[in-house]
Amino acid sequence: MRESEKLKVVTKYELLKQLRRKRLYLVLALAIAVELLVLVLLPALGQSYPNDVMEMAVLLSIGPSFAVIGAIFFAGDAIAGEFEGKTGYTLFPNPVRRTTIVVGKYLACILAMGLILFITYACVSVSLLAIYHQIPLEVAESLALCLLLASSVLGITFFFSSISKGVMGATVMTLIIFFVVSGVLESVLMLAGQPRWFLLSYAGNVVTTVYGGYGAFPGGAGHIPTAALELPEIGTSIWVMVAYLVVFFSLSIWITKRREMI
Amino acid sequence: MTNSIVIEGLSRYYNGFLALDNLSLEVKKNEDVALLGPNGAGKTTTLKILCGLIRPSSGTAYINGINVVEEREQAVSKIGAIVETPEFYPFLTPEETLSYLGGLRGMRAPGLKRRIKEVLRVVKLDEWSETKIGKFSRGMKQRLAVAQALLHDPPILILDEPTLGLDPRGMAEIRDLLKAVRKEKTVFFASHLLTEVVQVCDKVALIDRGRLLVYDRIAHLERKYRTLERAYLKITEGAI
Repeated sequence: MRESEKLKVVTKYELLKQLRRKRLYLVLALAIAVELLVLVLLPALGQSYPNDVMEMAVLLSIGPSFAVIGAIFFAGDAIAGEFEGKTGYTLFPNPVRRTTIVVGKYLACILAMGLILFITYACVSVSLLAIYHQIPLEVAESLALCLLLASSVLGITFFFSSISKGVMGATVMTLIIFFVVSGVLESVLMLAGQPRWFLLSYAGNVVTTVYGGYGAFPGGAGHIPTAALELPEIGTSIWVMVAYLVVFFSLSIWITKRREMI
Repeated sequence: MTNSIVIEGLSRYYNGFLALDNLSLEVKKNEDVALLGPNGAGKTTTLKILCGLIRPSSGTAYINGINVVEEREQAVSKIGAIVETPEFYPFLTPEETLSYLGGLRGMRAPGLKRRIKEVLRVVKLDEWSETKIGKFSRGMKQRLAVAQALLHDPPILILDEPTLGLDPRGMAEIRDLLKAVRKEKTVFFASHLLTEVVQVCDKVALIDRGRLLVYDRIAHLERKYRTLERAYLKITEGAI
């Protein structure tokens, strides 16, 4: 049996596991709830929707971006869970390479993540169509960039999952690195007038800045006019996200191959 | 006769602690050997190395002539294993779990489905085949562990206390199962239950502090010490 066929088997059952978990539906429900909140809260507070469809798209895209963060919660146990939960005693003594197992788990996470993103972006599109009678092409662009950001964040989560003893450690470490460390570095570098293009959190801003002169990111304060601020370049940001994905995911494979079921 | 398992000078350190000390052992095809020893003797470490879960600090091991350290995937394809107290994904059912593991072992439908039904019937989990494992008791998980070890009909079974967590009836059933398969398979298993060992195995390898103390036929040890228990107590005298 070829390794590619084993990869299909791993991906199929890892995806089935993800689809059976309540947390996936919780993340999806929260992401949609955030979008609904934007749609309901503005009229409820006596405010009309923005005149510019792009500005509204930014507001609604907080939901999908939020879903990316949720991904950390269901990828944190991808590798660490096999060791902590002892399921590795059943999975690893099989004629399958560890690389195949890690790649299969990653693909399953991406597919589950993609499902959430497609649904939340569909909600964004339907809302824009209902209010503005149009869906800007940038929504598709934002979706593609959000998928790439999710892939990078999952790569980092897999790295921490491969080095952590427990699931909680992997999840918390990713959240701290992504939000606290990267966020603090971004603020310090901005104040010092230094470039920030290499930070994933900064590069991830393209998910919303792709709509034009507005930027919103789940880690920040939400809707921030960024006309006066430096916006991340899409091309550079794509390369940065790809680099994080390749480096951290490769490291997670390398470490998992050497990790022992002690 | 081909050796099913060959262990050559295996040593293993855990942060400076020597768990296996130059262990060498050969198990011939269709032989049934029990690995005995006090707690911390190195039994599980030996089984983990044979299953490719950990690497030896020195020495090597072969399964059906294939080096476990260098060609792990090919070597473990010949074994069915239970190591420590295995856990399963709580969101999957036994049927799905066995489909997953069978798929990784190159088994395909419809043969795989038929075999899954067969092994679930053997371990008496057929009525629970579509229940999520999260609802299973320790004993039911142990039965499933036996089912997955037998699923691909491997020529070699490597089992770490296979009746652990089972009630007396379950223990007897698994013991009968092992007695039935021993005619056509090599069984290498670690256990503390000497009555079980006597019923299932021909030979015992007694280890302590990672060293092989005795490797002999049970019948021979019983002749020499009257019972296997007396042999065990005498040979491991002084162990913790």
